[in-house]
Amino acid sequence: MKTTMITLVIALFTTMGMQAQKAMDQFEIQVDGLGCPFCAYGLEKKFKEFKGIKKVAIDIETGDFSFQYPAEKALTMDDITKQVEKAGYTPITSKITRANGSVETSKANNTELSATSEIVTQKILVAGKCGMCEARIEKASNGILGVTEASWKEEQNMLEVTFDKSQTTLDAIQKAVAQAGHDTKAHKATKQAYKDLPACCKYQRLQ
Amino acid sequence: MKQIYNLAILAFIIAGCTSQDKDQTWQLSETIALEGVNPIGIAASDNGIWLSDGDHNRVVLIDDNGKTLKVIDSLDRPMHIATEGNEIIIPQYGNDEVIRFRESAKTVITTKDSLDAPAGVDVRGNEIAIADFYNNKIHYSSNGTDWMTFGKEGKADGDFYYPTDVQITENEIWVADAYNNRVQSFTKNGTHIRTVGVDQDLNAATGIFVTENEIFVTDFENNRIVVFDMAGRFKQEIKDGISKPTDVLVRENKLYVTNYKGSNLTAYTLKEALDVIPEEEHDHDDHEH
Repeated sequence: MKTTMITLVIALFTTMGMQAQKAMDQFEIQVDGLGCPFCAYGLEKKFKEFKGIKKVAIDIETGDFSFQYPAEKALTMDDITKQVEKAGYTPITSKITRANGSVETSKANNTELSATSEIVTQKILVAGKCGMCEARIEKASNGILGVTEASWKEEQNMLEVTFDKSQTTLDAIQKAVAQAGHDTKAHKATKQAYKDLPACCKYQRLQ
Repeated sequence: MKQIYNLAILAFIIAGCTSQDKDQTWQLSETIALEGVNPIGIAASDNGIWLSDGDHNRVVLIDDNGKTLKVIDSLDRPMHIATEGNEIIIPQYGNDEVIRFRESAKTVITTKDSLDAPAGVDVRGNEIAIADFYNNKIHYSSNGTDWMTFGKEGKADGDFYYPTDVQITENEIWVADAYNNRVQSFTKNGTHIRTVGVDQDLNAATGIFVTENEIFVTDFENNRIVVFDMAGRFKQEIKDGISKPTDVLVRENKLYVTNYKGSNLTAYTLKEALDVIPEEEHDHDDHEH
């Protein structure tokens, strides 16, 4: 009888353990701008502090950042994007494999062109200072409907952006970049947006 | 005759000054490849050079050719390490522990206040100093038991914005105030003495090494080492072979630089500076007089 009870208890705990293991969502994020080890390890460290987070792994060389999180908390793509951005990083692509097997992926650029599209390429001054800035500025630009390509060069502090004039404007792009924390000629980042940038991204503000 | 004699002495003095003033500068002498190591911190020992390899959670002891002699692994993001005798002292950024390794025996250094991402440590006899990255503080103990802290987040003298490295010299504590892009020195009571490098447009002063005559600072994003004299005056910029430098060390008249992105160690020796034609002479013909 005693043996049966022990077996049942072990079986129960094993099943519970398996269920607990199954009930984790897997998050895989490609993060850009992981050049500075202090900040990159900081991202890993800060995520480790989340209650319930498991198997946090970061590969500095490839920018692959992954972890598991309890499925019951139903962490969304938006939540995770915001959290990574809050830590100062820019998620380029994200993939969530839910505990039930379903897969969600993010898309970097949703712009679709039509026959009436009027494509132009323009350069604008955007303040920044490192690879992480580059990723953030390009992500903010690419996130605007109408933008097809964005490339920021650290040496010149210039953003070259290609966009459809029928869908967006250069002013709207500058506004989005400023909201991400980077001063442009037309729009300045708010004090809070600048403050929220990680240490290595604290560029010299434009006058 | 006396005038000729005086002129001869003057000429002799000028010649002497010229040869002395033909300053020696640090020049690249070798590049030591580090297979699979992305070095962050560096410290010297009798047996070789210790390097922290944060990406791979280990520290490695190498010989002068870069050959790995010993590995301590299973660490959690080791950063700017230090050595003292046969000991290696390792700050672990990932788990907030600073540990001492002697042979294979490990002890944890207990500070009065908790740490949040210790990024650098230095030991000098019984003295220990720790750069506490996220708390923007330096923890210092003169005897290894009693601790004091100084610093807070900010930009004023004595404040820090993510300190990453620290060094104890005879009378001062030097701090790489990384994201304030400067170096600061303090008395051993934590009183600010001087700030160095603010005029050099540093972009992340991640590592420092101070000798009797010079202050070496890594300028991480600008891929260079900047050398200052003890008064904080600019002396030299070193760019040869540098790729995302994280730490510096002077050992046996050689300057070593850990290149995080280059996965190598570059060594520099003091050599007579090459003659450089002053900029004015270059541009002479272009000016209108």
